[in-house]
Amino acid sequence: MLSLIVFLPLMGALLVLLAGGRGERPDREPLVRNLALLASLATFAAALVLWWRFDPSVASYQFEQRYDWIPAFGISYHVGVDGISLLLVVLTAFLTPLALLSSWDSVHKNVPLFSIFVLALETAMLGVFVAVDLFLFYVFWDAMLIPMYFLIGVWGYERRVYAAVKFILYTMAGSVLMLIAIIGLAYARAEASGVPSFDLPDLYGLQLAPHVETWFFLAFAVAFAIKVPLFPFHTWLPDAHVEAPTAGSIILAGVLLKMGTYGLLRFAFPLFPAAALFFAPYLAALAVVGIIYGALVAMVQPDLKKLVAYSSVSHLGFVVLGLAAMNVQGVQGSIYQMLNHGVSTGGLFMIVGMLSDRRHTRLISEFGGLKSVTPRLVAAFLLITLSSIALPGLNGFVGEFLILIGSFRWDARLTAFAAIGVILSAVYMLWMFQRVNFGPLTNEKNRHLPDLTPREWALMVPTVAMAVVMGVVPGVFLRPMEPSVALIIERVTGGQPQRVLAPASVDPHSAPPARQASVPLQREVPAVQP
Amino acid sequence: MTEFAAVIPIVIVVLSALAAMLAEAFRQRGERMPIAGLGLIGLGGAAVASAFLWNADARAFGVVRADNFALFINIVLCTIGIVTMLFSDELVDREQLPPGEYYALTLFGISGMMLMAAATDLLVIFLALEVLSLSVYVLTGIRRPSAAGAEAAFKYFLLGAFSSAFFLYGVAFAFAVAGSTRLDQIGMALSAQGTGDPNILALLAVGLLAVGFAFKVSAVPFHMWTPDAYEGAPTVVTAFMSTAVKAAAFAAFVRVFLSPLEPLQEQWIPVLSLVAAATMILGTVVGVVQSNIKRMLAYSSIAHAGYLMLGIIATTSNGKAAVLFYLLAYAVSNLGALGIVALLGTPQNQHDELRDFSGLASARPGLAALMSLFLLSLGGFPPTAGFIGKWYIFAAAVERGHYWLAILGVLTSVVSVYFYLRIVVMMYMTEGVELSRPRVPATAMAGLALVTAAVVYLGVLPTAIINLALASIDTIF
Repeated sequence: MLSLIVFLPLMGALLVLLAGGRGERPDREPLVRNLALLASLATFAAALVLWWRFDPSVASYQFEQRYDWIPAFGISYHVGVDGISLLLVVLTAFLTPLALLSSWDSVHKNVPLFSIFVLALETAMLGVFVAVDLFLFYVFWDAMLIPMYFLIGVWGYERRVYAAVKFILYTMAGSVLMLIAIIGLAYARAEASGVPSFDLPDLYGLQLAPHVETWFFLAFAVAFAIKVPLFPFHTWLPDAHVEAPTAGSIILAGVLLKMGTYGLLRFAFPLFPAAALFFAPYLAALAVVGIIYGALVAMVQPDLKKLVAYSSVSHLGFVVLGLAAMNVQGVQGSIYQMLNHGVSTGGLFMIVGMLSDRRHTRLISEFGGLKSVTPRLVAAFLLITLSSIALPGLNGFVGEFLILIGSFRWDARLTAFAAIGVILSAVYMLWMFQRVNFGPLTNEKNRHLPDLTPREWALMVPTVAMAVVMGVVPGVFLRPMEPSVALIIERVTGGQPQRVLAPASVDPHSAPPARQASVPLQREVPAVQP
Repeated sequence: MTEFAAVIPIVIVVLSALAAMLAEAFRQRGERMPIAGLGLIGLGGAAVASAFLWNADARAFGVVRADNFALFINIVLCTIGIVTMLFSDELVDREQLPPGEYYALTLFGISGMMLMAAATDLLVIFLALEVLSLSVYVLTGIRRPSAAGAEAAFKYFLLGAFSSAFFLYGVAFAFAVAGSTRLDQIGMALSAQGTGDPNILALLAVGLLAVGFAFKVSAVPFHMWTPDAYEGAPTVVTAFMSTAVKAAAFAAFVRVFLSPLEPLQEQWIPVLSLVAAATMILGTVVGVVQSNIKRMLAYSSIAHAGYLMLGIIATTSNGKAAVLFYLLAYAVSNLGALGIVALLGTPQNQHDELRDFSGLASARPGLAALMSLFLLSLGGFPPTAGFIGKWYIFAAAVERGHYWLAILGVLTSVVSVYFYLRIVVMMYMTEGVELSRPRVPATAMAGLALVTAAVVYLGVLPTAIINLALASIDTIF
């Protein structure tokens, strides 16, 4: 079941390859596009079936499949979903058809290859979320770079080659160190119990020497921080986002960035709990810097896409803050925010794509007064903008609120600063919205812009509907993840009822802060699952 | 008669080389003869013979041992040879190379390489080294009208002759220590001395042998000949020598350093670590600024020599198996990449400059996709052979606690990705130049299909070959 979902897009890619024919065949384009869309929709349907059959009361992996791959090293093809990865799988499957649909009219160069790369990318992304074996995870993680590199480099805007190369080198430089840490971890397990293993359940709870744990955690954390991107590792993101084609931006913002936060939550924190607890305040501080910095930089961007890109830095900062708090609200809020950000930022990129398809520019100053020309597009734009700035009743609110509660219980000072980011995000988003849509129609070129086409309705309706549903009935999404979240928190905090902010001067390993308990009951007791 | 069993694969290849020479003698001027077919038969026969000898541990004359290690290398060499033959069939005509000499030299070279992998006596290793070197020197300059080819061959020959002298000098010192040039006797003599205070003669022997091997595998600081030789040689010869010579040299390197010289590992590990580090750094950093693809791949092959040395430095069974696996993975990827360069070239335009590749993706989408696959494999991306190879090598280094070398290895491979991607950028993201590119004949297509299948197979299902490699190293400790 799970492998079917992961490899369904790849099979679609093979079909596209066959259907594409030799050479440039414009007559085959509709066939290729429909085939690719069909494959991604089938994947989405399969993901929904998966959700339907998922048992929300179970904390551990479900739908597990396991086959030996390289048995000499304890490497297996081991996949499974828990409540956390389930939702990310659904998000990925939800966004990919939209990404394909968004480039229906804007991509005309080598459509078969484009579709193949999008579908291959989907397989790699799904693989990252369902991999239970660290080696398998790394394979998908690294394999994902290649299609994304091509998507940016071949179908992007002017500085696409620079952006593509920067993207791939930056991410790779971070992840190769993680590879060394993964290998080291497998051998550490071999020392402890005789045989090496890359299987996650075997590696949880491994006792590592303190300095080794610190190094391994840092290797993992840097790889994921680059992907998130956490300030100051964010510089690849604006380039990649701005130069990528719309489909690439949607997937990049919607799914790829979540791999960083997912990795922190799934691997870096539970594998190295002591180091994670020691470094959590630093991560949180960087996250808060990112929240404010991203918001301030977004405010002054003249380019719509760049603005959305920097807003991602800010929003992902919230996610990391919630993870660093490591309590139920914080972590649940983080995961919720990952989903939100996928929907709302994905939606924003779709709209920027529509505007740039119409006007071939993304500069805010080129627009103005669109509300009288394209009222329907502006209405969708408004809803998605509001969802992005976390208006109550829409999806963004639930996530940010939970994160702020969670982090307030942990560290009120950081939370106070983060809350400034909430206000700033309203400032830059609404100001951008005002300049694009309100005021007099100053630019003659905007006078005859067409409103939403049927294809664009098909993009906007699911996105907006998702934003509303996630805002009104968050329980549907929060419930399945609850046991898994509790299990991870239990792993990280070791069942200790509270965790306090470690003073920087205290060596974490001689006296782990988790076991100090000097400030009782600053955090609530997580619901411990059996 | 059983004495001969161990050398049967080598003899088969030599016979096919002789057949190629005979065929040339009977060839009418201008007549086209399928001499490559003779090579294919010989190499196929050698591969089958090697498969039959598996696990037999046959020995001949006390100096040749067809253990699984040698047989694994034999099969790697046969694969390289078969792919080279498939590529050459058309290219030899197109480049107007003398067919008889070309095929005979290639096959003699392969026989020397097989002997080098199987030899258990330093003098026999030296003989094999000379057989393969002389063949490759001549092959480098086989394009007679080309001044660049002659220069490359001359440089290669001169420096190679020096390195052979170093190697021979090392053999002499080893004889002085052990009273024999047999590897097992040297090993016994060295372990009898203990590790406490090593004999100065033994250290000299180790150092000089290391210099000889470093030349052949093109490790820093003995790499200077590599870019010139690779650039000046006909591209198909570059493809052959960058993979086959490396495989044979590393086979002997492993056999000499990881059994008889193992007692001295305290002394040679630091030196080789330094050499490996310098090799990885120089290969990748200098590779970045190249604009000629053959030079670029020459520096990349220097870097890959550095990665391979990590397997020797690891000294574990995983290290040795990783070297074997990596040799195969590197061979198929590099053969594919250089093969495509060769197949696109004509006598007028070698098609080896970076800009020649611009727009290849729209002119030849299939070849561009394959080229990208091979380059990504060289860069170590999953799911290709190169990724598993690198992972295995670095895992072996980490296993022995060589974290710094492993970290240096992964970081330099990120740098190397930069220059591999430059070619991809040219093919996919740059406006095309108008070039008349020759069509790719069916035989060469078969060769490309073979290496493509190998790159994907080793990348997706590496277990069988990893187990085979692990089963091949028992006899060398």
